[in-house]
Amino acid sequence: MNTTNETSSLKKRFRRNRWKYIFSDVLLWFILLLFFIPALWIILTSIRIRSEINAFPPVWIPTGFSFDSFKILFGMPTPEGAFGLGGEIPVISYARNSVIVALVSTTFALIFGTLAGYVFSRFRFKGKNGLYLGLMLARAIPGIALSLPLFIVFARIRLSDTILGLVVTYSALNIPFTAWLMDGFFRAIPKELDEAARIDGCSLWGAFIHVSLPLALPGVAAAGIFAFLTSWNEFALAGIITRTPASRTFPPALFEFTGQFVSDWRGMTAMSVLMLIPAVIFVALVQRQLLEGLTSGATKG
Amino acid sequence: MSTKKSISRRDFLKLTGMAVLGSAAACTPAATEAPPAPAEPTTAPAVPEPTQAPAVIGKPFDGKTVRMHAITGGNYDELYKLIPKWEEQTGAKVEFVFKGNGFETDKRLVQDFAAGTVDYDVAWDHSSFFSQYVKADGLEPLDNYFSPEDLSDFIPRLVDAARRDDKLWVIPRHFDISCTHYRTDLGLSKAPETWDEFKAAALDITKNNPGIFGTQFAGKEEALSGRFYEVQTAEGGQLFDDKWEPTFNSPAGVKAATMFAELYAAGAMPPDMTNFLWEDVANQFVNGVIGVYTEWFGWYSYFQDPAASKVAGKFDIARQPMGDGGVHSGWAGHHGFSITKAAKEKEAAADLIKFLTSVEGNEMEAKLGILVSRQSVWDKLIKEAETSTDPLAKKRLELALLQAQEDFKTPPLIAEWLPMSNILYPVLQEIILGDVEPQKGLDDAATQVREMMSKAGYY
Amino acid sequence: MTVQAQRQDIVSKKGFSLQLPERHLPITLLLPSIIFIALVVGLPMLYSLYLSFTDYTLTSGSNFHFVGLENYKHLLFDDPMFWKVFGRTILFITLAVNLEFLLGLGIAQLMARAIRGQSLARTLMMMPMMFAPILVGLQFKWFFNAQVGLVNNILYTITGTAHLIPWLIEKNLGFISILVAEIWMSTPFMVIILEAGILSLPQEPFEAADIDGASGWQKFQLLTLPMLMPFVYTAMAIRSLDIARAYDVVSIMTGGGPANRTELIWTYVNRLAFTGQQFAMGSAMSYITVIFSFIFTYMLFQNVLKSRWAGEMGEL
Repeated sequence: MNTTNETSSLKKRFRRNRWKYIFSDVLLWFILLLFFIPALWIILTSIRIRSEINAFPPVWIPTGFSFDSFKILFGMPTPEGAFGLGGEIPVISYARNSVIVALVSTTFALIFGTLAGYVFSRFRFKGKNGLYLGLMLARAIPGIALSLPLFIVFARIRLSDTILGLVVTYSALNIPFTAWLMDGFFRAIPKELDEAARIDGCSLWGAFIHVSLPLALPGVAAAGIFAFLTSWNEFALAGIITRTPASRTFPPALFEFTGQFVSDWRGMTAMSVLMLIPAVIFVALVQRQLLEGLTSGATKG
Repeated sequence: MSTKKSISRRDFLKLTGMAVLGSAAACTPAATEAPPAPAEPTTAPAVPEPTQAPAVIGKPFDGKTVRMHAITGGNYDELYKLIPKWEEQTGAKVEFVFKGNGFETDKRLVQDFAAGTVDYDVAWDHSSFFSQYVKADGLEPLDNYFSPEDLSDFIPRLVDAARRDDKLWVIPRHFDISCTHYRTDLGLSKAPETWDEFKAAALDITKNNPGIFGTQFAGKEEALSGRFYEVQTAEGGQLFDDKWEPTFNSPAGVKAATMFAELYAAGAMPPDMTNFLWEDVANQFVNGVIGVYTEWFGWYSYFQDPAASKVAGKFDIARQPMGDGGVHSGWAGHHGFSITKAAKEKEAAADLIKFLTSVEGNEMEAKLGILVSRQSVWDKLIKEAETSTDPLAKKRLELALLQAQEDFKTPPLIAEWLPMSNILYPVLQEIILGDVEPQKGLDDAATQVREMMSKAGYY
Repeated sequence: MTVQAQRQDIVSKKGFSLQLPERHLPITLLLPSIIFIALVVGLPMLYSLYLSFTDYTLTSGSNFHFVGLENYKHLLFDDPMFWKVFGRTILFITLAVNLEFLLGLGIAQLMARAIRGQSLARTLMMMPMMFAPILVGLQFKWFFNAQVGLVNNILYTITGTAHLIPWLIEKNLGFISILVAEIWMSTPFMVIILEAGILSLPQEPFEAADIDGASGWQKFQLLTLPMLMPFVYTAMAIRSLDIARAYDVVSIMTGGGPANRTELIWTYVNRLAFTGQQFAMGSAMSYITVIFSFIFTYMLFQNVLKSRWAGEMGEL
């Protein structure tokens, strides 16, 4: 929602350059459509009739819909029984694991990352630059290089194939980005506001909670979105650390659908749609916060 | 200033509390997987086991748990339905520690053997892969658990392909081998008998049938290395000589590679075949755009299914072509079971393996069209097929058995096969795509392979 | 003294120290983060570094030896493939990040100016980010399939003749294909950050410029772009770090092939270390990559800091 200032200036500009605005709107939606088509295709494939999926020449307009793929995923009876890859997919386990891992690691990343960002933005201390750079460099390491050594280390300390192991891993993965983003946001908040609060009697902690943090909330929202999506969709490390449905999350489970001989498109896209839904919900929820924060911050009263 | 939302101390504590609870939930051990669903009561009479299971009053393995690291997907799971019966007989329990597709399973095993994190007794194994596990000292030799009588019913070539260093490492469960599949409606009168005929046939079909490709091959990874291996073997070549020097750049190897390159250059193969793996080639055939090619027997029912396949009833099968070496191609592999060295219940594990690869187990898999490992089961199947409505049913079985007995060849049973394939296939792709001349490409590959073998201590 | 001056006074005298011992606070707050990272990244990397000085293979067991810089020497001097792959990876990253930036900026501008449906546009835009990279890889692999792929099919519909263009095979087409997939997947990231930046820009300079009669392009060049720079650098830096996500996509779409045509550093490491079982060599290669990443990140961060200072100096 725009404030009165922005709305009125927008309206002014609108009246002046009507066609330009319509054109740019059309262009925008066209581009959005381009970006959305692959997503649409995936969703469509999951509800198609089996024979039309890999058909050649491709079937543009589906002749009918079938929710069999979802039924099979959940173990409900269907005419053909299971996927080419067999039934009994522990979808509930995968869902549970994915949700717990993503939410908990995002929370950790947000808490510790925000604190770290605050520290970097407000304090000066020895080794600060070194630590800052170190944190960022930790993120620069490709997952492939990490996977086997991590597996060996985790195996030794018995974190292999556990939800905790994944949570710890993803928290570590997401903290640097969160810290960096929050550092930026905190820097944009004038220090005087902090000091004003403290002079008014707040403790350092209170100033943080009541003044700095609320102003930086859009940053928290943005960092939260990225952290959640990263954890939700991460594949390489999850594939190594998890082995059984006790801790397996959706992405490696998705890959299991690409069997050695047969890829089951229906199963894969059905599971992908399942994966999409929480991601979309989470993003939609947090996005509103992001938007409110942004526009209220824009006026900078 | 407009009012800003602020997080009160209470909200912050709530958030932290949630995080703590969440991590506490994460710490509690997740519920162990439910045991595999019990099979429906079978109506088939129990088959007398050819093992030495003692007729004792108490159950032999009462209270023990055998942990299994298994392959899954497609037809592999059918056999596992027999497990509850074994559990009933022996009083033991079977726990699946891991289930995945072939490459995933192999990757896990390699990692586990490397990291020392093996916590299972029975592991899936395969003729192409077991040498690595032996080298990593992860497997238990099976000679003490399986007597010659136990092994007598298995097809000999299969068992031989599970031996190295004079020990037995894998008990074969089923195998797969490729034969020539060719369309009967595209002008090809009979199956090509040599690779030269094969090449000519492919070129002809392409010329006379626009929109159709004469042939195809799976064009990447071990698949491509394997196909090259079998063609050059047919032409009289060898991958290594007896001193382990690479010799695939011999004239036979060059001839094989040239055939691939020329077929591609003439447009007789789909242009993106270098991205094809097993599923892709099968789909191409099923979509009706391929004339003749070599394919695993395991796809047969898919090909003949009119609902899914456009070529149902329109193709025939034949033995793979032979080459200048007077030998038929016959790249094959078998899936089986092994016992890990770190296993805690070796006796029980051996018994489970015996059960799964018994006549009963074989017959169960054979029903799905899988090529099983026991001779006696084959004899029975072929007899039954005489009365089948499918004209190809009997021919198919006899052909598979013949190939298993005479043409079955595995790549060298060394741990370095896969790393070698890793060096070979990109070079083969370059040759196919025309980036490099066959002789030069193979020479380069041979140099690299030699270096690798040298590092591995072969010279 | 005015209240303002009073406050300045206190600040200059006391700095930030009030109740808590200032010295220990930063480290305490940073400690959890440090612990996480040390465990998940530090330990394994040290182990990996150790391995890179040996001849460890996945089947070595405990039977491997120290070989010093042998692996590094081999990669840097004896392996022409390494440099080819390295160069290709640099090219890939550069093109991807820059194209994503340009595209992202354009789309962000359009989105910021949209009359209505902004939040719907934003959600739609974020869809590619929500897909797991392996799914993106599988989907695009199918799209670019020479026979049944969507792309060739569209071409067929438009031009009337079947062009079986092997998108994933041809020398340059393969590169373009994976680039397209990567850009599709990651441009939304740029759009989000840049749009946030655009929306947070103060209005006054623009209105002043309007009054002065500045054109749209001038406003963009002299106002929008400079003020966005901190966001831009931040986004680019993060993207460059995150680019390894492309590994999932590329390994599914082409596996680095055929004939190493689309081989990037990460697929090469994976093939060498896992399929080729030469784990020590793979570790060495990872480390070389890491060193270059470090240098690059360091340089980029210098830029971020520099532009930040500029932004803070020109207190808007």
